[in-house]
Amino acid sequence: MSNPDLEDDLRGTLDRAAASVPQATGLSDRATTGVQQARRRTWMVSGVAAAAVAAVAIAGFALTGGNTPEQPPVAAPGMPQSSNPTTAAVQPLSAKTIAGTWRATQITGTKSLKSARPDDPILVFKADGTWSGSDGCNPLQGTFTIGQRGEFAAKSGPQHMIGCENVPHTGVLQSAKRIEVTADTLTFAAADGHELARYARAR
Amino acid sequence: MEFEEYVSARGQELVRLGFTVSGDYQRAEDLAQTALMQAFRSWRKVRKADDPHHYVRRILVNEYLSMTRRRSFTEAPTAEIDPQSTVPDPATGIVDSDDLWHALQELSARERVVLVLRYYQDLDDRTIAELLGIKPSSVRSTASRGLATLRQTRQSNRVDERLS
Repeated sequence: MSNPDLEDDLRGTLDRAAASVPQATGLSDRATTGVQQARRRTWMVSGVAAAAVAAVAIAGFALTGGNTPEQPPVAAPGMPQSSNPTTAAVQPLSAKTIAGTWRATQITGTKSLKSARPDDPILVFKADGTWSGSDGCNPLQGTFTIGQRGEFAAKSGPQHMIGCENVPHTGVLQSAKRIEVTADTLTFAAADGHELARYARAR
Repeated sequence: MEFEEYVSARGQELVRLGFTVSGDYQRAEDLAQTALMQAFRSWRKVRKADDPHHYVRRILVNEYLSMTRRRSFTEAPTAEIDPQSTVPDPATGIVDSDDLWHALQELSARERVVLVLRYYQDLDDRTIAELLGIKPSSVRSTASRGLATLRQTRQSNRVDERLS
């Protein structure tokens, strides 16, 4: 096959592939909301950093500045005296921890989680490290791993992409690098720590 | 041009470009969104550019190439082209085209990007070089390597078909 033939075929293939892409919605909103959230995060991080600097300064003053007699720590009124995060028992996470069925309650950039869809947009994790579910229109599946301290990685299997108001479970799972689990809430976070999505255990 | 006007006019093109380079719908949307977020951050500067779309397109392809270089990046299985939503064209050998699509996914990320920019975006080699920050001669050699691999993959697929 000559190069011109191959080049023509390649043009056709790429045009058809591009034409098969479902219409994306809310790109503008997601881009502007993402930037605004990032700006808020930056501000919050700056605030935390300032507080940390102040705490170090105060600690430094206490250590070097003076002959202040050593005082036992006193809890602020209303604060529990026994709250010590370093001694709190941390439950190691595993695939078993999140095994079960979950429903998205909040996904960054997705507004219409409650819209009616052909299928129930659930996400099911199994203790054997596989996940499955539906985005509302297409069956989904893949595998995942969880580190003891919440490190998370997932892969998705091949899937069809019938257009509807697809719940972007796959996007969440592929972007997530950490999870947090409380009793009935599963939170996914990106590598930089920002929250991607929140799921509730289905009853 | 306001940001919202740009997105409404060209946003879908970015998703399509993301799909042709990555072969993955979810990643395509992520790439478009990342490019748009970065463009939105400096929209005053972007809108003054001769061609704002060129600027955003550059962000998208370079973001994709950076993504593929990250250690955490693993190639996800490629999505199939949904025949229901492709442009109907009875004269086209769809099987051949699908073969080519699958063969494209076997190329390196840079080879795929160069071929997509050349044959889907119809950019000349100098513009592609400027967009990727490489020399035009590198664009030519990368494209040539990519085409050679595609041709070889296609030929071996046809031999396999004849033998089976």
